Order: sequence, then structure tokens, then C-alpha cells
Amino acid sequence: MIRKLFIFYLLLLYGGLAEAQNKSVLLMNGTAHLGNGTVIENSVIGIKDGMIVLVADAQTIRLKSLAFDTIIQIAGRQVYPGLIAPNSTLGLTEIEAVRAMNDFAEVGFIIPNVRTLIAYNTDSKLIPTLRFNGVLIAQATPRYGMLSGTSSIFELDGWNWEDALLKADDGVHLNFPEFPVERAPGDTSLHERKINYDKQKLELKKFFLDAKAYNEEEKHEEKNIRFEAMRGVFDGTKKLFIHVDYAKDINLAVNFIQEQAVKNPVLVGAEDAWRLTSLLKENNIPLMLGRVHSLPLRADEDIDMPFRLPSVLQKAGILFCLQNEGDMATMNARNLPFLAGSAAAYGLTKEEALQAITLNAAKILGIDKKVGSLEEGKEATLFVSSGDALDMKTNNMEWVFIRGKKIDRDNEQRALYMKYKSKYKLN
Amino acid sequence: MHFSISKHQGMRFSCLLPLLFFIGLSLSVYAQETFPVNGVFNKNHTYYAFTNARIYTDYEHVIDCGTLLIKDGIIMDAGEKVTIPKGAVSYDLKGKYIYPSFIDMYSNYGMPEPKKSHKSMHPQYETATRGAYDWNQAIKPEFNAIAVFNADKKASEEYRKMGFGVVMTLQKDGIARGSAAVVTLAETRENELVLLDKAAACYSFEKGSSAQEYPSSLMGAIALLRQTYLDAEWYKDNQKKTEYNASLLAWNALQALPQIFEVKDKLSALRASKIAREFNAHYIIKGAGDEYQRLEDIQETHCSFILPLNFPVFSNVDDPYDAMNIPLADLKHWEMAPANPAFFEKKNLSFALTAADLKDKNDFLKNLRKAVEYGLSEKQALKSLTVTPAGMLGISEKAGRLQKKMLADFIITSGDLFLVKTKIYENWVQGMRYMISDYSALDLRGNYDLKVGPDKHYALKINGEQDNVKAIILTAGDTNKIQASVKTDGPSISISYTPRLEKGLVRLSGLLGAKNDLTPEGKMILSGRGEFTSGEWVDWSATYQSDLTEPIRTDTAKKEKPGIGEVYYPFCAFGEPLQDLKVKMQYAEDRGQNAILIKNVTVWTNDSSGILKNKDVYINSGHIVRIDNAGHIQPQKGAHALEIDGTGKHLTAGIIDEHSHIAISGDVNEGTHSVTSEVRIGDVIDCEDISIYRQLAGGVTACQLLHGSANPIGGQSGLIKLRWGLNPEGMKIEKADGFIKFALGENVKQSNWGDFYTTRFPQTRMGIEQVYYDAFTRAREYEIRMKAFNLLSKSEKAESPAPRHNLTLDALVEILNNKRFITCHSYVQSEVNMLIHVADSMGFKINTFTHILEGYKVADKMKSHGIGASTFADWWAYKMEVKDAIPYNAALLTNMGVVTAINSDDAEMGRRLNQEAAKSVKYGGLTEEEAWKLCTLNPAKLLHLDNKVGRIKAGAVADVVLWSDNPLSVYAKAEKTIIDGLIYYDIEKDKKLREEIQRERARIIQKMILAKKSVR
Repeated sequence: MIRKLFIFYLLLLYGGLAEAQNKSVLLMNGTAHLGNGTVIENSVIGIKDGMIVLVADAQTIRLKSLAFDTIIQIAGRQVYPGLIAPNSTLGLTEIEAVRAMNDFAEVGFIIPNVRTLIAYNTDSKLIPTLRFNGVLIAQATPRYGMLSGTSSIFELDGWNWEDALLKADDGVHLNFPEFPVERAPGDTSLHERKINYDKQKLELKKFFLDAKAYNEEEKHEEKNIRFEAMRGVFDGTKKLFIHVDYAKDINLAVNFIQEQAVKNPVLVGAEDAWRLTSLLKENNIPLMLGRVHSLPLRADEDIDMPFRLPSVLQKAGILFCLQNEGDMATMNARNLPFLAGSAAAYGLTKEEALQAITLNAAKILGIDKKVGSLEEGKEATLFVSSGDALDMKTNNMEWVFIRGKKIDRDNEQRALYMKYKSKYKLN
Repeated sequence: MHFSISKHQGMRFSCLLPLLFFIGLSLSVYAQETFPVNGVFNKNHTYYAFTNARIYTDYEHVIDCGTLLIKDGIIMDAGEKVTIPKGAVSYDLKGKYIYPSFIDMYSNYGMPEPKKSHKSMHPQYETATRGAYDWNQAIKPEFNAIAVFNADKKASEEYRKMGFGVVMTLQKDGIARGSAAVVTLAETRENELVLLDKAAACYSFEKGSSAQEYPSSLMGAIALLRQTYLDAEWYKDNQKKTEYNASLLAWNALQALPQIFEVKDKLSALRASKIAREFNAHYIIKGAGDEYQRLEDIQETHCSFILPLNFPVFSNVDDPYDAMNIPLADLKHWEMAPANPAFFEKKNLSFALTAADLKDKNDFLKNLRKAVEYGLSEKQALKSLTVTPAGMLGISEKAGRLQKKMLADFIITSGDLFLVKTKIYENWVQGMRYMISDYSALDLRGNYDLKVGPDKHYALKINGEQDNVKAIILTAGDTNKIQASVKTDGPSISISYTPRLEKGLVRLSGLLGAKNDLTPEGKMILSGRGEFTSGEWVDWSATYQSDLTEPIRTDTAKKEKPGIGEVYYPFCAFGEPLQDLKVKMQYAEDRGQNAILIKNVTVWTNDSSGILKNKDVYINSGHIVRIDNAGHIQPQKGAHALEIDGTGKHLTAGIIDEHSHIAISGDVNEGTHSVTSEVRIGDVIDCEDISIYRQLAGGVTACQLLHGSANPIGGQSGLIKLRWGLNPEGMKIEKADGFIKFALGENVKQSNWGDFYTTRFPQTRMGIEQVYYDAFTRAREYEIRMKAFNLLSKSEKAESPAPRHNLTLDALVEILNNKRFITCHSYVQSEVNMLIHVADSMGFKINTFTHILEGYKVADKMKSHGIGASTFADWWAYKMEVKDAIPYNAALLTNMGVVTAINSDDAEMGRRLNQEAAKSVKYGGLTEEEAWKLCTLNPAKLLHLDNKVGRIKAGAVADVVLWSDNPLSVYAKAEKTIIDGLIYYDIEKDKKLREEIQRERARIIQKMILAKKSVR
């Protein structure tokens, strides 16, 4: 196994270095998982000028000879669209314990104007480790406060944030006030927390009403940049990502969406969604589910509730994708494919699970015209794994393309591995 | 209430009883002998006789109609026929009951609030108590309650209203809380109230007002108590040879008293009793009211208990979304807590009852009656409030019974104490009378004919509560109601109202019980003089006409014993009734008769035979008995074997988590001192953590519960098997080697503890080395000193000071002698190298480096020292010191021949360790067999358990898991998790438990809603 890997590594070095974006590539005979639920067992996928120009069944298509500069034979391997990690702090922090390295939370409670776009660090040492597992797109998301700022979406390759950008300022993030929960029978802190909660709710509502009124006029003598940042939310060009977990809050968040006529809402987290599927379905609200690999919210809950939640939503016909917010989320984002794997173990089909980290994520983020599936006319952001990419045992990158550009799989961790392997003369 | 002549006469106002709240101090036998008197002496040796009462002379003896005779605060006699001496004041208590006043042996009556010691933002490592006292601020046996006791009128009144006459009082502050006193609840000078100045010594696990850092954890408090017992013993023998210590002196002086230990929950009751056993103490445990949840273990403690009556209040269940947040354990406790005393009685355990912990003291009688409603016998209830506490406190000669020469402490009630409507009229303490409600007061409620002046004529209706009446006035031929106010004050009555179309109040005043207050027909008349709004004075009278037509609630019937659910083991969701657990355990004892046969399964042996397909595995007597080709094993004749079809499934050794922090009560870290080897996770195992069940479902069978990484030398580990349902001791792995946590790097340096934690030594990696050198140098010297002292002759021993028995150093000496093994939290190669050098130079071994994310950089050194590794699959970049962590670590270490495990350090990841192990196939290309050993055989080796578990082979202990798929696959699920040959998790049973949880929740929530309504 080790030897095999090593050979792939050499192959990559050999074939990979000089690859330019304008050269066309044909991936031959791999099993293609399109990301929209379809599988082509024996596929041909053509890449040209950074785009996917051909997706077809090798059995049925006739290829013009020499239509592609390079032909890569990938029989027995799996092709997938680049995985999408929404709601991430990738590029905004390196080592969270070091204050100087953190750029994901700004001062202020209502600061939708703050943008991750310009803080995103394309040179983060974490980025190559995500690519190594197939994660090729990420949403850089601000944290904390109530309206914590505006996110942007990047592909995980680029010299600077302008290069890497996939969609600028895609949405505003709202951490919905949490209804105070009775922590123990006769909880005495409840009253004070309720007062604080009511205050926050009022503040939130007032801000939305004011911002909406402000944005009905195009021009203002005195600009309010916090209100300006909300314009897209009201005209539907920006999403409103509402971070909310508990059933009661989800209920209230849906009410808030209706009351404020939010055009493009997304619920993020929504761990109690299994209790409110009909409400979410009726209102056609998409979800970015909380980390599948987490503990149930409550001791009494089904022990596999977080594992099973995706299949509950799938059955209910609700559009959802997976994300990874939580402890050590930034470095952990590379485990996104395995979250989907667990969802598949607990009720989704493997293709549905894949869809939850590719096409569905793209739809929810509003980038599905460009990425999210292996379809002609979309960007060639995809990868080839020697085995099932959703299973850690077999997830093994062989070729990675971002916008048609072949990406070096190497990363610092791997370099250290090679260095010490050589020190110890291991092969 | 009906008015008739006879009744009315029975209720006639007795002028004998002046309506003073309490009669003068002079009744007391405890005259203030030493106090000069300003005025004339007022000696009073009057006899008081209480006749015709139903008298409970104690909890089990009743005189139907008897007399109680008291004098000078003492009972002179109580019986059916008592001669009443001449000149006695006599009270006719016909229809009323007399009980001994209650004794509360867990109050802080008259104690000052403990002063919070100044809490600065900076940690306080040393005691703030000045003087020659203990090193730890929470150890204050020198505290003497009687020295600061101040009688408190408001508090004593509150207690008397509940029926108490005597209390034990202590300051509920600190771990060793000093001595308590026993006082009566009379209102007089403190000198006369004290029954015992030193009644008991009190303890807890809470450091209270102490702001000293140590102990910050429950296990730290336990260690501190244990060390103090040892110190006190040592001090007793070496007092003259060493430093002076007022606290240890006091500690020793208190040991002869009753020892009372307050705990916060049932598991801590077990913990306290363990200390008692170790040091030959006998504890009376002040419980938390949840003891019924592990009553068998509580019984085993052989301790007496003091039980609170603070039953849980309603939870917020009206809104189903809110109700979701209430755990089943809380719901069940709400339902079952009132039965706690009844559970004790059933087991014949000795217990007193206390009003302590009640937020609203008015709930005391209510909850006492509730406890009776839930099965506590009235006898036992009375006993636990009188004779039992008196016995525990050693005041049986004085209080708890109504017998000659005992204190005249008794209550007079309107009837049977346990009936809801029964009132306490009076509480006599030390022969002093305290009125709570006036039994001579008339019940005025009824319809009257009211005449005011010459021509005003109304109907008057008096209703409401007897002691808080409301009134309405109606004019004849008019449907408009006028609210009126009726007030009585002793024999006088005043009525006021505003007539229709008038402003201002008509005010009437009169007398109850005045002469000629009956009509010729025998009807009561209230009468007197009044003033119109005009200022004109008139006569008025109100003649009783009829009873109220609306029913007055007379809740005199005793309620049926309510049905309650079953106790779950453990007491939370996914627990099961004792019966089910017993069936399982009985099966364990009765092993020959039961077995498991898993047929046609793929077996991951973790042995040289590798992965075997199509095998039968036979488990019996808790062990793997045989592995053979499919179809080759038949269960023994007569044995009842559970046959499981393993087709397409995989059987492996159970997962062992080398680094876990689940199932620990009261903090994972004693993160205060740099060296805390005296603390033991084994003391604080929480057998009710839901993580245990969740991890069983992830195929985990055993864990090392580690102390945290807050100090260079942390605490001793607890090795457990996940025997869900058993008690903490039952979870521990039998005869396991002892382990201890060490830690290096940022956590120990307090790098990420915030700006105020910058003063503890060490703050750098340089300092960490010195901590180890110092600790092990001291340990070596200690060992030598101990040995040398033990070799001395008796006379030599007497002359030289004995070395102090030191729990901290004991653990280090064990390490030096290869009897305790180190798991060291570590990251970067320099520090790892350092500890290897320290170990070499001090002559001890390191068993395991845990986390060891830079282990790959020093794999050769670890290999040559025989040190194992326990690491994360792919964690990195969360702290500066894990910048160079790589997911290839486990593979590199394994390939270098280091015994390597993948651990969780996390309750969530702990249930997916199979997936984490699988990552080393991806990162570093281990074979599947090698990868699987990372979470099974290798941690077994690191924990010295591999001679029993970790492999599937004949003779091994049957800690095994049946998987739906290749266990390294993300798609695999544990279907059965078997420990000691018993199925502790079963994916099918889990489904049933889920349904059971939903049913049980719904049942109790509906019950709670109904109960809540009936209160409204």
C-alpha cells in the first residue's frame, strides 16, 4: 500500500508540474459521480479552458482523436466534483489559540458590513490539507455577534483572494438569538436571560426595519454602511444565513423570515430540524446542517440523531447540505467527505450523501451555475480518488483540478512525512 | 363550617388566653442565673396543664384523651390520668392533638453568613486565613458554631411555624466545617438556648467561601480530606516534635463527636462513605434527596442519613419545544423524589428529615405530607423528625418525646398532622408558648342579616379563608354587590363599606363573644356601634342566618398513594429497571447456563492468524471459549446459548480508548498545584454519563479515564469497562495496573489560560523539567525516610519525629517502583526528549506518551526506551505546539515499532474510533489489520490489559463487538457490544429503549401538566 502511494506520488510529480490551464485533458474510463445523483460507471470527462466540456458514457460516445492534449487513464478510479465546505473559517485563522492569527470575528454586535473577502488568506497552510481530501471550495464565514458580517466563497487555489474568489459577498450571517432554556428545574437565571433575549430580539427587528426603510431609497445624503450592507438581503442578491439550532428558535426564525419577507434565507445548524420538517418544507427553506459528527443535543435523544438527521430531511424533501462548524472546525474541514460518509451509513444513499456536499451545497450558496456537479459548462473543479472518497479508508486523491488547473497534492504535512520517512529509512 | 349552639359554644372565645404572640421569658427553667436583674425578680413556677388532647408522647405512643403537665419548661407528666396540682393554669384542648416538637439536625440557624474571601482576578495559591491554622483555607475544624451563634427571631419563628423546637446549627461552609451546636428555638438569651455546645463535626466536598485555588475539583476535595485525616493522625503522635497547627488539633478533638457529611448527590454519598471506611469514621450523611436512585449501594454504606424534603418543582412543559429540553432524569426525579423517604423506610434504613434546602419554608409541612402520601408511614415520619435526630445528636434524654423530665417542646394542632387542612396552632418551646394561629378564633363565615342604624338593612355574606375572610353586602331588591372589609382582632370586629351612591366609608365596630350575643333562637349576633359617612353614630347588628351555600373545601381525606415509574439503572434515558439489569447480571453469575454463539462471522483476531472468514465464535462464562469453522460449534448440552447469525458481519475485539474524559464527576482537572498525584479519577467516576452508552454504541468496551493536562503531574487514572447500569466501583477494571497522567507544554505553562494565570511555576518548558526533578527527588528521599523510620526501635521512634504520610509522594514512589505507570500528555519533540532524560536520570519509566503529535520526530528514542504512543488520527493546528502535527504520525510510529494507539480525548470522537483508526490506512498506508490494532490491541497493551482483552482467541475475556461491515469503514455500525460475555449494547434493543423513553417522557409530562393545573 505504501509503495503504491509512493508511485502515484512520483507520477504526479512527473506529469503534474508543467500542466497549464489552457491545455485540454480527458479523464478516461473512471467511475464518475456527477454530484446530482447520477453515476456513470465508465465515463469520459473532458476539460478545456478551465471548464468541463464533456461528460459522457465511454460506452456510447465517440471521441474525435486528438481532441484533447492529454488523456489520463483512470479506469477503476472515482471522479467527483470538488467538495464544498460552507460556513467555514478557512483562510481566516491559522492556529486559533494564537490571537494574532485570528481574523474571523470583529468587534460589534451588528456589523453586516464587515467582509471576510479581504481577510481570506490564500497562503494558509491548511488549504492544501483540505484539497488533499477533495475539498476544493469553501465559504469563508464571519463569526460571533448577532449580525457577524458578510461571507464570500473561494476556490482553494489562487495567488491572492481576488484570484481565488468564486463569489464575493454572497451572504450576511445572522446568529439568531437563542431562547433561554431552563437549565435545571427552578432555574433562577432564566428571568434575566429572558430579559436579555427580549432585548436582542427587539434590537434585531429594529435593525431590519430601519435597514429596509433606508434601502428603499437609492441615495442618501449621509451613508449608513451597516444599512448599505443589508441591501442585497432585501433585494434577494445576498443570502441571509440564519444560524440557529433549537426547535423553538427554528420556529421563531421561520417566523422572522416571513415577517421580514427575507427573500433568500438559509438556516445554518438547525440540529432540531427533525422536529419541524413540515414547517421547513412548507416554507421551502434550505438548511446547512450542523456537523454530522457531533453528539445529540440532549441526553434523551436518539444516540444517532446527528448521523441520521440528513436522511430524515432527505425523506422530507428538504434541500440541505452539510457543514462542519464546531470545535477545531477549520482544520477539521478536511473531514467533510466523511461527514457525508456517516450520513450514508445512516440512511442516505452514497450519491445523496455526495450531493449534500456538492450540488446541494452549490445550490444553497447560489454557485450551482458554476460548480457543484460534473456537468458540461461548469468549471472543471474536480478530483479523482483511487477509491470511495466518502470513506476515510479509501479516500485517496490522485488528480485534483481547480478550474481545470491540475493542483499539486503536496502539503507541509506530507513533506514532514517524507522527511522523517527518509530519516528513519522507512519505505 | 356550621354554626349551631353547641358548636358555637365550643368555640367560644376563651378569655383565659390573651392574644399575645408569646408569653414572657419568666416561664423558663433556665433562669439567667448569672445575670443581674433590673427591677424585681420574677420567679414563676406555675404548672400548666393541657387537658383532653390526643397526645403523641412519641412517634409510636398515643394517648387518645390525656393530659400534659409542664412546669419550669420541663414536662412533669403526660398520661391519661394526670393529677393536676392546685394553682395550675389549665387549657382544654378537646379535639386537638399534641405532638413532640420536631428536631432539625441540619440548619444554619443563627449562623452568620460566611465571609467570602477576597476573589481577585489572579489565582490565590495560598490560604488567606491568618494564624496558625491549616494550609488549606477550606479545612477549618477550628470553627466553632457556638462561638458565633446569635439567636435570630425571624428565623426561629419560621422554624417554629414548621413545628420545630430544637435545631442543630452549623456553618455550611468549607470542606472541614468545624463543630455544630444544638439549640432550642425559644426567644430568649442565647445562654438559655444551648443544649449542646459541640454537637457534631461537619464536612462536605465543597470548599465554599475559600478562594484558594486548591482544591478545584471533587477529586481534589476527596484527596484533601484523606490527606488531612493522615496529617491529623500524624500530628497526634508528633505534636510536640513539629510545627503547631491549631486546625489539626481541633480536628482531632472533634473526632469523638458525631460526624456529619453533606453531599450533593447519591454518588457523592457513596464517595463519602468510602472515606469513612478508609479512616474508620462513621458518617451521618446529609443527602440530596436522590438516594432512591441507587438505594442498594446506599444501603451498603451502613451510614445514617439526613434527608431533605425539597422536592423538585415543576418544569416548563406546557410548550412542547420547552419540554424537549427537560431530560428524562429530571422528569422522573420530579415524579419519584417525594418517595425517597419511603424508599429508605422500606429498606429499614435509619434517617432523619430536615427542612434544609427548602427555598420556601412553607413547603415543609406540605412536602412532609407528600412524602407520607408517597408511602412514608406517619410513624416513621414522626420518628425521623423527633427520636431519630435526637438519638443521632445524643439528646434523647432531653428532646424527641413527651416524657417526664424532658423539655416541654410540643406542638398543638387542629388534628391529625398529616391531613392537608390540619393547622399548627401553637408551638411550645422550653415551656414557652408561641402562637402560630389562634385556635380560639371564631369561624365567622356565613350569611347574615345586617342592620345599621334605624333603617339600613342589608344582606351580609362573609366567605373566603377562615383566617382571611372576605365580605359582600347586598341591599334588598338590588343586585349590585358592595365589597366590604371585615377584620377581627381578638374579640373585636370591624366592618367597613361604601354604600351605593355615596362616597367615603361607613365604619362599624363591635365585639365578638360579648354577652347576649345569641338570638333567642340561638343564632349568633355581631353587634356594636358605628359611624356613617356623615359622622352620625348609630347602633348596628348582624344576625347569623345561614351557612354559605358554596361548598367550603374540606380536604380531610388522605390521598391514595400515587403511582410512580420505575427506578432506572442508571437513572437517565437509556437506563433500565433494576429487574432487567439483575437478569443480565444473574446471567453473569450463572454463566454455565448461558452462552453466546456467533455463527458464520468474519473474525478480526488481532493475532497471527489475522482476519478469518466464516467462523463460529462461542462465548461462555464471560470468556471466548472456542473459535472454529462455521457449523462446527454446537452449544454445550443443556446450555442456553443465544445464537446470533454473523453472516456478512465482522467480529472484533472491543475498542479501548486510551485517553478519555467521559464519566467523570466534578471536574477532570485538579489544575491548581503543579503536582497533584494525590488525586484519583477512580474516586469520581460518574456511572450515569450518557457518553458511556453512546460510546458502547460505537463499539467501545473500555476506557482509561484520565486526569486533564493542567499540571505537570496530574492525577491517577481510572480504568473502566463500560458496564452501563452498574455503580462506579462495578465499572472499574478488576486488578488493573495503576496509571497516572503527566503533561507537558502549553497547558502546563498556562499559555492559553488568559492574562491572569502567569504566576504558577512553571511558565516555561525550562520550569517543567525542574518540577519533575524536584518531585522525584523529594519522592526518593521520602521513600528512604519512611523506610528508615520503620526500621527504628519503638523507643527510637518515640524520640524522633515520624515522617508525614504524604499521598502526593506515595504515588510518585509507586512510579519509581514500577507500580504506577505514566501516560504523559505531550506534543513537541524537545519536551518529549526532556522527559525521557528526566526519567532515565531519576530511574523511572514512561509507559505512554499521549497525543504525542510530534512523536514521529522522536520515534527512534521512544522505540529504544520502550515507550508507547497514543495519538490523534488527524488533529492539528489548534494550538501553536501542534503546528507540526501530521496525520502520518500513527503510521510512522507503528512502522518504527512503537506500540501506537489512536485515542479520542473527546466524547464525540470516542464513538467513532474505528473511523479514526481507519485514517492511518489513508495517511501512511497501514494495513487494515495494523490500523485496527490502533484502537483495540495496542491500547490494551499500553494499559497492560492485553493478557485479557484485545484479541479474539480462546481464553480471552469476551469484550467483543459485532459490526455490520468492515469495522474500519465509515459505513460500519456496531450492532452488539459485549463486555465480559454480556451484551451491554444491542442495536435492536436500542430501538425499544427509544420508544420506552418517548412513552415514559410523555406519561410524566402529562402527569406534570395535570398536577400543575390542580395547583393553580
